[in-house]
Amino acid sequence: MITAKGLYKRYRKTVAVDHLSFDVRPGVVTGFLGPNGSGKSTTMRLMLGLDHGEGETLFDGKRFGTIRRPINEVGALLEAKPFHPTRSARNHLRMLAAGNRIPDRRVDEVMEFVGLGDVKRKKPKGYSLGMAQRLGLAQALLGDPRILLLDEPTNGLDPHGIHWMRDVLKTLAAEGRTIFVSSHLLSEMQLMADELVVIGRGTMIFNGDVDTFVREFTQSQVVVRGPDTAGFTAALEAEGGEVKAEDGALVVSGLEIGKVGHLAFTTGVELHELSTRRASLEEAFMSATGASEEFVAKEPVRAGGPAAPEGEAL
Amino acid sequence: MLDALRFEWTRLLTLRSTYWLIGMGLLVTTGVAVLLGVAGRNDPISTEVLWIALNGAAGFGLPFLAVFMAIIGIFACGHEYRHGTIQPTLTSLPQRNRLILAKLAVVLTTTLAVTIVQMAINLGVVYVVWGEAPGLFEDPLGTALIGYVLYVLLYVLVGFGLGLLFRGVPSALVVIFLMPLIIENMIFGLSNIPQLDWLVPVVKFLPFTDGARLMELAAPDFGPGAPDFDLFSRWASGGVFALFAALILSAAWILFKKRDA
Repeated sequence: MITAKGLYKRYRKTVAVDHLSFDVRPGVVTGFLGPNGSGKSTTMRLMLGLDHGEGETLFDGKRFGTIRRPINEVGALLEAKPFHPTRSARNHLRMLAAGNRIPDRRVDEVMEFVGLGDVKRKKPKGYSLGMAQRLGLAQALLGDPRILLLDEPTNGLDPHGIHWMRDVLKTLAAEGRTIFVSSHLLSEMQLMADELVVIGRGTMIFNGDVDTFVREFTQSQVVVRGPDTAGFTAALEAEGGEVKAEDGALVVSGLEIGKVGHLAFTTGVELHELSTRRASLEEAFMSATGASEEFVAKEPVRAGGPAAPEGEAL
Repeated sequence: MLDALRFEWTRLLTLRSTYWLIGMGLLVTTGVAVLLGVAGRNDPISTEVLWIALNGAAGFGLPFLAVFMAIIGIFACGHEYRHGTIQPTLTSLPQRNRLILAKLAVVLTTTLAVTIVQMAINLGVVYVVWGEAPGLFEDPLGTALIGYVLYVLLYVLVGFGLGLLFRGVPSALVVIFLMPLIIENMIFGLSNIPQLDWLVPVVKFLPFTDGARLMELAAPDFGPGAPDFDLFSRWASGGVFALFAALILSAAWILFKKRDA
């Protein structure tokens, strides 16, 4: 269990993390989302005492700095390639293991587990970003900790690697561990995370389960399909629904599925499909954090844009 | 603390640079002894020659071993920041005081061991060439050799402090080479110019120059017409160098505790 209370960090005039408080429960994967520059990495560094700021984070009731041999209780992956280029991957882990009374046998175990067993004696400077991420995960898992903090662990991984990472984290969570993971891959997070902490400009936007987040920040739609639904539009609109036609179906916003079904029944409209269309996590994220973007890029110009090569859509 | 020492010891031993820096230091200092042996093998060995042979030319201003070991000292913290390993290091050993103490203990112990080994190798060369080492344990040679060991240790301490202070390698290297070779030599040289005689009282506070006096065989003689620098004694000069090392290390340590990693 991770309990963060009143985390606050200021860089001169900029408040990077603004009194964040949240809990990360064991047994589930908790995703940490926010736009670029929203303070995710700073929050994680504050939690681990790498950055100085205000507030307190407790890992199973203990402050990180007071834990003796912390790798055995909290595993962390914060940077993509925090390795000395001429020290072999195995020796990098041996060094960390030596400070936490972890036998070399465990080093070989985690190297095999992350799929780097064959290259463990090679230097990380020759590793791809994906391999470096695997080594980072091996580092986090070295002490077989109950808590994992991972900052963008899927960066640089190929689709197989991402799938593998997702399975690993879900399996670790199922073992009752506390998993706190940030990622920009929202589709991946939708498959991986059970709960979310969403921040924007250092402030809390949402803390709860994924379904509630999507529900809270998007409008679910009802899809209606039938042999003759043309006349049904007026009835739906009369009840306050917003209707648009899409691939021979009506897509209704602003009305619950029960209400639409009841309306069809009372107006005698035959239906072949009546279903709810859920918004994606990405749509919810865009809706929730749209105003909190730190760095806003210009929208691409489709035709006649200065950067688009001729005849090529952006 | 034992965990931190184990960590730091493994860190040092798993770096290739540790081996080539120590190897280079031993090779160059042994080379000095061999060179002296080749040049003076037909003459009886004097105290001055023995002194230079044992400290590998550090006595006349070329502290090879101290420089190579100081680079190891710079790497102790400088590498951590240069390659970003400070993050896994501090998530492995979050108690910052303990980490620095362990780093200091390992670097200084290694330096002490390597310096003693270097002197033993050079003594071996002296015995092979001349078959004797007259006055080895007597004053002033014995004291000068103890001063040499202290000088190397303090030089490494300065390097360590600079690596931690600058949180990197290049700036620390520049300072540790630039200061004794250029800045202090320039101040010393300029102080001999009558128009700049206000620099004379500064000379006895030049830290690296003072440090080098720890290993001197005799008080320096700057010749007739040289200003009276009113230099400190051997141990007081060593104290200036030690104070300089302590100031750098204290500043670096305080900042290490206060700064974000």
